[in-house]
Amino acid sequence: MAKKPLLKFTSLVMALSLVLTACGGNNAADHTEEPGSNTGTGTDAAKEVSFTIAYATGDPATKQAIETTIDAFTEKNPNIKIVNYSETTSAAYLDWLKTKDAVGQFPDLVEMRDTKVFADAGKIVELPEDLRGLFKTLPEYDGKVYNAPIAGTAPQGIIYSKKAYADAGITELPKTYDEFLAIQEKLAASGISPIVVGGKDIFHMGFWTNFFFENEVYAADPDWNSKRTAKTASFTDAGMVKAVTDYKELFTKYVDKGWLSTADNQTASILVSGKAAQLFSGPWMFGQIAEADPSFEFGFYAIPNREGKTVINGLPSLSGWSLSAEAAKDADKVAAMKEFIKFFFDPAQYGPYLATVNGIPTTSAEVTYETGEQMKEVLRLMSDDTVVKSLGLANWYGENAIPPQFRNWFYKLLQELVLKNGDVTEYMKQADTEYDNNVKANAQQ
Amino acid sequence: MNASAKKKKWSDYVFWFILPALVVYTAFVIVPTLSSVYLSFTSWDGISTKINYIGFDNFIEIVKSPRVHNALKNTLIFAIVLVLLENIVALGLAVLMDNVRWFRNFFRSIFYFPVLMSGIIMGFIWMIILNYNFGVINQLLEMTGLGFLKADWLGDPDYALISIILSTVWKAAGYYMVIYLAGLQGIPQELNEAASIDGANRWQQFRHITFPLLAGATTVCIMLSMIGSLKIFDQIAVMTDGGPGFATETLTYIIYKVGFGELRQGFGTALAIVLFLLTLLISLIQMKVLRKREVQM
Repeated sequence: MAKKPLLKFTSLVMALSLVLTACGGNNAADHTEEPGSNTGTGTDAAKEVSFTIAYATGDPATKQAIETTIDAFTEKNPNIKIVNYSETTSAAYLDWLKTKDAVGQFPDLVEMRDTKVFADAGKIVELPEDLRGLFKTLPEYDGKVYNAPIAGTAPQGIIYSKKAYADAGITELPKTYDEFLAIQEKLAASGISPIVVGGKDIFHMGFWTNFFFENEVYAADPDWNSKRTAKTASFTDAGMVKAVTDYKELFTKYVDKGWLSTADNQTASILVSGKAAQLFSGPWMFGQIAEADPSFEFGFYAIPNREGKTVINGLPSLSGWSLSAEAAKDADKVAAMKEFIKFFFDPAQYGPYLATVNGIPTTSAEVTYETGEQMKEVLRLMSDDTVVKSLGLANWYGENAIPPQFRNWFYKLLQELVLKNGDVTEYMKQADTEYDNNVKANAQQ
Repeated sequence: MNASAKKKKWSDYVFWFILPALVVYTAFVIVPTLSSVYLSFTSWDGISTKINYIGFDNFIEIVKSPRVHNALKNTLIFAIVLVLLENIVALGLAVLMDNVRWFRNFFRSIFYFPVLMSGIIMGFIWMIILNYNFGVINQLLEMTGLGFLKADWLGDPDYALISIILSTVWKAAGYYMVIYLAGLQGIPQELNEAASIDGANRWQQFRHITFPLLAGATTVCIMLSMIGSLKIFDQIAVMTDGGPGFATETLTYIIYKVGFGELRQGFGTALAIVLFLLTLLISLIQMKVLRKREVQM
């Protein structure tokens, strides 16, 4: 009987070894370095260091331009290894980033678009002091700067086919919103679908939503969101109802029939193929359109409102490169990430980057780069003081930040409103209820 | 040493052999499952380190939320329609494959091929086929003079759900076909021959001999397709993203959406608990009914 404990121990060891053998079957492949780990070899002068990076890859031009910058940086700094976590995904960037966080792969250097969410959770740290001088303006959240803005907030406007306009007999660009609607009538009468919308990608729904909200609400009251949070404003207010009514009318009458199954990255093809005459989007599309058909002639303009005033998306917002709190604990990583940020915004590097993505510079240093006719109009709008600069529903920050979960839900609600030909006021009552529920739920966190 | 003592000694060692696997299973399955139950009573956003207990608030919201009701309705539609269609198509294919004389293996491979594809890839393929502007179906309709039948198959709420259902049947039917085929090949030919001599036609043979003897395969297929359809996610995520509006949202889809996209991990986990209970309940009922049928047959 004295052998019994020994037998039990032996059987346990055998079973454990079976399990561990199975787990360790791929050990040879696991000898590669952990993403983000510091290899720790080499001298201090060229200490080898590695960090992970992630950014939104929805726009192929941006993806390509950042990859080019990373390659140029690592070529110049062979001791710094950058592990690129970015993946092309149809999901919203926030969903993807949160999934990465859930599996323990939150990037060391990350393009942050939901600064409030990740700053509140302690996932990102303040931008190092010595980098702040690089930028003209740095928006603050809670009195702190978290982002190195990759590019300025891009205004959105109508990207139109010159041929479609000429075929429809349109010789002048609109000076008011009513003239814009008259143009839509002419385009529809000429047999072309007036506007293509990439409604399958929910973020795309924000383009038109923001246009109407900025014109009807935010231009007059930039603090409307904070009033809604405090329940002193409502989605059933006259301005909001007007904005959503205009939205519904536009989508019902002038938007291409397949808009709900069209992805954002298909819009350029639909425009250049002549199936639709216009796209409401930003300058990041110029490259995609030119690539889809280099001979396609197109123009860009901001849609004026009914009074003839122009309101565009153009205020600085809380977004850009952020350092993760975890990576910030490692001085070598911080030094490497700072080097990368300085390299990224160096005019010699930043200029070509902006030219590729049709971006707006954010640096204090002058940046010169070549632009096409459409981008010149974007830059003119940004520098024109008579053009009102605003932000979209979910881009406001501080007191004006909306509950993060509200945005996509609201865009879907607007889709349903159009599909079901719903009553605007009734749908806006639903929006009020959901907004209040979200505020309450977030207050419990 | 008598038999019962031997058995006891053996079971002692069995326990020690099971222990390591049990520890791993507990750490990676039991503990996360139990922590999910705890999280369903919190307002955790999935990111912050602070987790607040909020009692039954999440479950109360589930009961009240029209969005959840809509997702539950869609889930049940998927479950019922998919189970019926997948099994009817699979059984039909299995009977055909059982009788086909030429290119039998070729046809089996063709029908089984979609099963090997991931739901994501399949979703992308169908998304392209069903695209309003560039899709093959609309192009074919246009070319054959049936342009008036063109529709936004994934963008119109009237068609989106049925488009996902049909593409899922296309993907899954081959899998159930194999199970039915195995069942068919276990039925003695003599029974059909005897029935044929007695004057039974093909349909009567199928109705009174083949189908009853397939009871075991039917139970397995219905159970698997029911669980599969309650868990449907990939196709929706790729083909419609739950849209248009909220038209194709199912429980699994909003669990992911609210948990990851809307930063409400607590609420998403509560929904997952509801889905788990629903799946368990339906499976138990189904098992009871189908087992009873097997015994009767």
